[in-house]
Amino acid sequence: MIAPLQAQNPIIRWSWFIDEWDQVQAALVQHLELTLLALGLGLLLSAALATVALRYERGAPPITAGAAAFYTIPSVALFGLLVPYTGLSRATAVLPLAGYTLLILITAIIDGFRSVPAEVREAASGMGMSPRRRVLTVELPLALPYIITGIRIATVSTVGLVTVAAIIGQGGLGRLILDGLRRAFWTPMTIGASLSILLALMLDLAIYRLGAAATPWTRRRGA
Amino acid sequence: MIPLPFAQAAVPRGIGLAEWLVDVDTWLGRDGILSSGLDTVTLCAAVMGTGMLIAVPSAALLAHSRRGELTATALVTLGRAVPTFAVAALLVPVALRRGWGFEPWPIFIALLLLALPPLYLNTYTAIRHVEGGVVDAARAMGIGERTLLLRVELALALSVIFTGIRVAAVQVVATEPIRAFLGGDGLGRYVRDGLGQNNDTLIIGGALLIAALAATTSVAVSVVERLVVPHGVRRLKQRTAARRGSVG
Repeated sequence: MIAPLQAQNPIIRWSWFIDEWDQVQAALVQHLELTLLALGLGLLLSAALATVALRYERGAPPITAGAAAFYTIPSVALFGLLVPYTGLSRATAVLPLAGYTLLILITAIIDGFRSVPAEVREAASGMGMSPRRRVLTVELPLALPYIITGIRIATVSTVGLVTVAAIIGQGGLGRLILDGLRRAFWTPMTIGASLSILLALMLDLAIYRLGAAATPWTRRRGA
Repeated sequence: MIPLPFAQAAVPRGIGLAEWLVDVDTWLGRDGILSSGLDTVTLCAAVMGTGMLIAVPSAALLAHSRRGELTATALVTLGRAVPTFAVAALLVPVALRRGWGFEPWPIFIALLLLALPPLYLNTYTAIRHVEGGVVDAARAMGIGERTLLLRVELALALSVIFTGIRVAAVQVVATEPIRAFLGGDGLGRYVRDGLGQNNDTLIIGGALLIAALAATTSVAVSVVERLVVPHGVRRLKQRTAARRGSVG
């Protein structure tokens, strides 16, 4: 176990932060990459599944139930189960992380499109828009606020989960956390944990700003 | 692989999953599945108990007096986003300095933060959405505020509160295994040891045990709900849960 002497290590030693900046930066970049890869993959899958769910009424319940069931699989268990098949690779980290975003993203996309008033849809069709054009230029923008909220929640939760992927040797900032814990040297741990929380907040703010810029009409109504 | 400073279960290499799971020694003893599982269940039960004691009464009182609407909305976003691992890690040196030891306080607090949002949110929304007519009728019958909250509002909200309990409990049980990577043991230890020893049997076996416990938790809460919530109230659930806000 940990000797009492080591427990007295300072919570953060700034000189380490400066000396080991390369390591911290690499971890930060990897953390960002894993987050974006998982989100990208999750968004693609969610878009496809949500399309099916919106198109066929009967498809929606099994799709959301499936995503909800997936969401309850413990992350440690899922990473562990994949290791024998995909090894300690990036895929082993990204696949479960993408899977965990599905429930949030699919629900957001479905809610978003269902929020479009029927009159708006009929008006667009009445103006002679093709279904594809109607979906892309009328329905999608109107659904966007819901989808952006979903992406924000998915992003913050993914940034948090990426740290857990450190147990399979991925995990970006999570590796700093594990490293610090194993050596009872708190500096990398504190830095890894703080930066991962900071990264989540920054990404959340960035997506919020992007979303606000993409949907200028929502600002007036104070929604 | 970085060496782990924690005690590890020694498992012979090359043993099959079925062989490992049927071996008596796997289950019994200090490092056995039963004792590790009990560790996990005890911690999760303590977290859920504390969480319910904090969240349910406060949410019920605030919803009854129609206050704190903003807190509830803010919690919707927070609920899915608590970075348990990072929070627990940050708390480890704090706990050590205070002399609380390596374990299990950091993970306890981190899990508690994970459990509170769904508990609070579902209690709040459920009570807030009890039909106004029912509340008015109860008041007109001369029922006191306390009885109103306890016997009418809480009773009608019970089913949705149980959904919150189930969501929270499953998340807590599903997240608890990271404790094994934070200096503790519990059911996550087999995945940890398997990764450390490059032993697939241990990894898969441990992962299956964790997943099974999470699934069992969901079923167990449903069973308790069936026993506790009256039939008529259960039928209200579909209607109330469909409204925005509650997790389920």
